[in-house]
Amino acid sequence: MFEILNSILSNVDSDYADIRYELKKETSITFNGKELTHIGSNTTDGYVLRVLKAGGLTSIAFTKKEEAERATRRAEENALLIARNTKKPVALAKTEAVQDSYSPGLEEDPRQVSMDEKLELTRRYNTIPLLHEGIVNTVTDYMEVTREKYFLSTEGSKVREDLVTTRLSGLITSKEGTLIQNVRVGLGGSHGFSVFRNQEEEFEKKTSIALDLLKARPVEGNTYSVLLNPSLSGVFTHEAFGHFSEADLIEDAPSMREKMQIGNTLGNEVLSITDDPTMAGQLGFYKYDDEGVRARRVQLMKNGTLTGRLHSRRTAAAFGEPLSGHCVAEDYRFPPIIRMGNIFIEPGGAPVDDLLAGLGDGLYLLNHMGGQTSGENFTFGAQYGFEVKNGKLGQMIRDINLSGNLYHTLKNIYAIGKDLDLSKVGGCGKGQMNIRSSNGGPHILVRDVVIGGR
Amino acid sequence: MEMARKVSDQVEIYSLEETSDGVSLENGTLKDIESKSQSGISLRILKEDKLGFAYTKNLIDRQELLQNGLDSLKGEVEAFFDLPLTREIPPLDTYDPSIEKVVNASIVEECNRVGSLLEQKATGQVNVSAGRKISRMRLINSQGTDLSSRFSSYFLSAEILYPGSHASIHRPFTSKKFEKVPDATLDYILDLYNRSSKQASPKGGKMKVLFLPETLYALMWRIQSATNGKNIYQKVSPVMEKMGTRILNEKISIYDDPLNDRFPGARGFDDEGVPCKAFPVIDQGTLVNFYFNLHYAKKMAASPTGHGFKSSMWGGETISFMPSPSLEYLCLKPGGASFRSLVRSIDRGMIAADLMGAHSGNILNGEFSVGLSPGLYVENGEILGHVKDAMMAGNVYEALNEVIDLEDIAHPTYGGTFPAMLLDNVSVAIK
Repeated sequence: MFEILNSILSNVDSDYADIRYELKKETSITFNGKELTHIGSNTTDGYVLRVLKAGGLTSIAFTKKEEAERATRRAEENALLIARNTKKPVALAKTEAVQDSYSPGLEEDPRQVSMDEKLELTRRYNTIPLLHEGIVNTVTDYMEVTREKYFLSTEGSKVREDLVTTRLSGLITSKEGTLIQNVRVGLGGSHGFSVFRNQEEEFEKKTSIALDLLKARPVEGNTYSVLLNPSLSGVFTHEAFGHFSEADLIEDAPSMREKMQIGNTLGNEVLSITDDPTMAGQLGFYKYDDEGVRARRVQLMKNGTLTGRLHSRRTAAAFGEPLSGHCVAEDYRFPPIIRMGNIFIEPGGAPVDDLLAGLGDGLYLLNHMGGQTSGENFTFGAQYGFEVKNGKLGQMIRDINLSGNLYHTLKNIYAIGKDLDLSKVGGCGKGQMNIRSSNGGPHILVRDVVIGGR
Repeated sequence: MEMARKVSDQVEIYSLEETSDGVSLENGTLKDIESKSQSGISLRILKEDKLGFAYTKNLIDRQELLQNGLDSLKGEVEAFFDLPLTREIPPLDTYDPSIEKVVNASIVEECNRVGSLLEQKATGQVNVSAGRKISRMRLINSQGTDLSSRFSSYFLSAEILYPGSHASIHRPFTSKKFEKVPDATLDYILDLYNRSSKQASPKGGKMKVLFLPETLYALMWRIQSATNGKNIYQKVSPVMEKMGTRILNEKISIYDDPLNDRFPGARGFDDEGVPCKAFPVIDQGTLVNFYFNLHYAKKMAASPTGHGFKSSMWGGETISFMPSPSLEYLCLKPGGASFRSLVRSIDRGMIAADLMGAHSGNILNGEFSVGLSPGLYVENGEILGHVKDAMMAGNVYEALNEVIDLEDIAHPTYGGTFPAMLLDNVSVAIK
């Protein structure tokens, strides 16, 4: 394959060019209720060529090798068009030319597990909720994605890396009268099939929550102090803070960029945040990004003060900051963009029971249900929660969405638990889907959070 | 097709080729041009009431694609439907050949024109993105169906951002050919932005909320989900027993209009080869139809409605999806009020100009709990400013019974073609 890539690259008239070919193998099994609705394995592939010429950086994704010549000419033209129209010519931060071939260590390689066994395992977990009265539907989805990547650049980088992602996700739906509730289950990771063994208890637990939610009370809209579990502290860290540590999102937004200057104190002194794609065994693990840059651990905030940022080669040069190896593509259809790897709040010293006692009156909220940001404002859902009075858990609550302002919330995080848990299932849609986006943290206490409710 | 027919009862092959260019301008500077040239094939085979499915990009190895389909068949996914024989479909004008001659330099020039025009008249940061796409699809099956379509599309989206935020006022423009964005669209963006440029800090509570067309997808999503034939079959829809009854305010009529070829992407047949038609879902508040693909129509002993599309909520590779029931051309019928008069009629309330978090919460149940990003505060018919940190929440089956009026024009936007809609008694929480 590298020979083909080399022949394409040698035909590009540019200051710099790189090309990535990917072979993507997907296996998926889906149950809707009792019915198996999909099963199969498929292979897709394609090329992404990036061209830097006269200060214009552009990309083209194409499917067929025969299109390479035409794609190359189109990319050269587009690069020159950008160069003519931009006020800021692009430069790329220097990186070492890497020649490496890397396959991750797996605990049980899913490619060696038979389709029949995957089917039976998915069927078994799918059946657990369906045996309970009150559960009206399930969606259980096994997914395995292998990206075999070949990266070649005109600077001499030549990298082969495989990314093997597995996921078993479920949605358990309960119903009573016209009231419908659902709870998500998510297992998976970057290190093999073993994570799916012996997970019956997890499906039982989530089934109980789905049934309990039928008796829960809708939360009243108001401002509360809240205890967030690692899933929610993780999604806050990712959605509200993490995206503004991605240099490309603030590069051309002067007011955001000023607020996010390294050295600015934005958070409470108890708060430190890190992104680390080099954590082997976590979902967001990789060795090289899709610019051939080796991934690095970056501390983004230390005791409330901004200390680092996530970069591509382009933004590292534009900001004059160190490379971090965070420029990642979804697959062969996309050029890489800046993404988080494993982002988390660093654990503090408090046991969860102490946090609950410290909360006094408020809400204990668990497990995220998607989130979104718009500048400094964020919104995300919690799957369920409990009222807390005098540090004691009370009635279960449902229909919970949190909203807030990033900067106020960073200041309002006032205690950090000593636990740490990172998500096993990813799905960040910043223009492209990143199924390996992982986030987490400890339990945290936050004051003054707006909860939408009726 | 010939190879697959030998080993199965029925075969369907879907192919798609697309080329596209996207241009983005951020804060007055050309940021990126991204091009794509993609193709792919998917295969469905039916044998003894079982379904096999496979797809690939490069058809490097026909035998491998077929083998993947046969392996998938072994999983014994049940499929009792037959593929249709469709010979005649409504003639539609979906392709304007002039799009082929448009050079990226012209699109860049138009982005620059729109960007500088907005920058001259507003203080906020301006971002503009635009692009064009040409696609060609073909669907053949062993019953003798052989349908193909060619599409051209162009879009431009301009936004003005509020300081310190990604919240913005925006309105997308689409066409089958490359053309200038109408002045009226740009004037609308400027007017709304400039009237709301101050920051307002009102109190929360129950109030009137004017949903701009750009935000209605959040409410329509809940209705789409509840009327989806798949959710009816699975008995998880709150309206499954409400056919023929009035569930929303009489001012609400929701229908699917795939044949409207004024906008890009109109379709005469769905991704299973079933002819498309204009299709009411809610008529003057009354639930009149659920929508199906072949599979769920058969399950529910209903007729296929032409709603089997290879689509997904989160993008992804079209060829990798099996057709599922989807309202791809959703429309909300306009009402009788001009946009200005709707704003003027608000004594105290918010304009929902964009939303955050529409995908979270209990969608099937009709619940919504979304951040306003931004919300514009209105008092005595005047916009007083934009509000930070506001959320609104409710249930569509209550909220859409509190309709005051709808705008007299529908705009093509995210998730469909919608007018602005004014609701009463929406719960808004403001920090």
